[in-house]
Amino acid sequence: MFEEPYRWVEAVGNRRHYLDEQFQQGSPVVGLSYQDGLLLLTVSRGTPKLYEIYDRIALGGMGHPADLEKLRFNLLEMAHVEGFNRSPSDVTGSRLVKYGLAPVIKQAFEEVYKAPFIVKILLAELGTKAERDGFVTIHYDGTFEETRGCAAIAATPAIQAGMMAALRKVNGRLSLAEAVTAALNAWGTGSLAQLHVESDQEDRKDSTPSPSVSSPDAQAIEAHLRESLAEKTIECAVLERNAPGSSKYRALKPEELNGLLPASLHPS
Amino acid sequence: MGMEGDFLQLLKERGYELSAPSFGGDGQGLGGIEITKGTTILAMKYRDGVLVAGDRRATAGNMVMYDRTDKVLELDRHSVMAIAGVPATAYEMVRVLEHSFKYYRRTQLQELSFEGKLRAVSKLLKDNVGAALAGTGAVVPIFAGYDFEQGTAKIYFYDILGAEFEGVEYAVSGSGSPTIRGILHYLNTWTDRPLNALPEEDAIIQALRLLTSAAEFDSATGGVNRDLNLYPVVKLITIDGIQTTAAPRLQSLFEAKVARHV
Repeated sequence: MFEEPYRWVEAVGNRRHYLDEQFQQGSPVVGLSYQDGLLLLTVSRGTPKLYEIYDRIALGGMGHPADLEKLRFNLLEMAHVEGFNRSPSDVTGSRLVKYGLAPVIKQAFEEVYKAPFIVKILLAELGTKAERDGFVTIHYDGTFEETRGCAAIAATPAIQAGMMAALRKVNGRLSLAEAVTAALNAWGTGSLAQLHVESDQEDRKDSTPSPSVSSPDAQAIEAHLRESLAEKTIECAVLERNAPGSSKYRALKPEELNGLLPASLHPS
Repeated sequence: MGMEGDFLQLLKERGYELSAPSFGGDGQGLGGIEITKGTTILAMKYRDGVLVAGDRRATAGNMVMYDRTDKVLELDRHSVMAIAGVPATAYEMVRVLEHSFKYYRRTQLQELSFEGKLRAVSKLLKDNVGAALAGTGAVVPIFAGYDFEQGTAKIYFYDILGAEFEGVEYAVSGSGSPTIRGILHYLNTWTDRPLNALPEEDAIIQALRLLTSAAEFDSATGGVNRDLNLYPVVKLITIDGIQTTAAPRLQSLFEAKVARHV
């Protein structure tokens, strides 16, 4: 049934629709530069979503855990074999994505007889100098985007843009605590917008016009964060430029993270 | 796809071989080429953990190849491998191990256990037996690290076939080692303090004295070269990780406690 080109286009369109739905319940992931390196943050229930990939590369993902795991192993294999055969400084996030991850995800997405990967991925890469720090985000269809300073993945591109706008408001050299606060705020912005999209779709069944996803106010975000943190936990990892040894990745322990949270979000 | 986190296996699947045995014998490679070798290394327990030290010389037959070799190599934040034998093979082993430990941690989301690290060293030595017996790739390492399960720093030494022995208080390897093995035994048994009671500074002093003794009797061991400000590598392993003793500290300890002022 896919012999005719337009059928294939239609099938890929259906696939987009199907995938978009899969991410609505997912937890967004935020990446942000701070004075000592890069930070990744998400709020999750149980299964971890942030991982160490190589000496200076970390991954945050949303989507199906089994798919994420498979792609994570692909990345780990590629990074370590490359780092061993050439040198650790030849393992870069941009090469891992362009030649490793993106083609695999794109192929799975377009082979309409097979299941696509239900994943969106954010890679953070710590450069040897702060100017070379960067992020790469990969969409479920294999398209990717490189950014500096901050990055986000969420259910839809519009929500990601909203989160990026929130992140770009905080400028300059942030301390770790300031970065955690800013990243949490952006996560809340994204997560709350995802809730709205979901309820809009339910509303639409009653044929009411959907209100535009306006940027939620600070109070609403704070209330949403408090609500989310009651049943989920913050996951936060950093790539620290001055960490001893070659591996720069460190997952923040709950005690350390609690000390960095804004007073309004302290666990009672 | 291997989900078990075995990096060496992954490399082998991609056609990697640690070392191909070649024919020669008696420490000589093909056509009687002298093989480069590294010499004296030692590890001993002291009050806070384990000290690992090595001289800096690499030789090929009667030739000094290099006097700034680092034979005490860090595998991760809490373990080191000190190498005696053929540096080409030893450095390669260290590279494999370093990547193996990282790969395991990153894939399995937990550190490889101390036992697991020991086995990894053994496995590499076993893969290398052919080259070791042919005389082109013999490596006799000492592995030392902090074992978090048992809450103590430990020393292990190996033979060239990969058998591992726990060197309870101290271990030595390399051509200068027979000289200092006896001294270590004497120090540990009949002096007023056993090695594992020595404070950090005293342990460093003993290590410098021991390597200086090895250099006295073994032409392939470098010892200290004061003209070039060249000191052995001395690393300390404690629960906090690995600490490399800085050259100025070694120099002042050497001047005060090791050099004889006649």
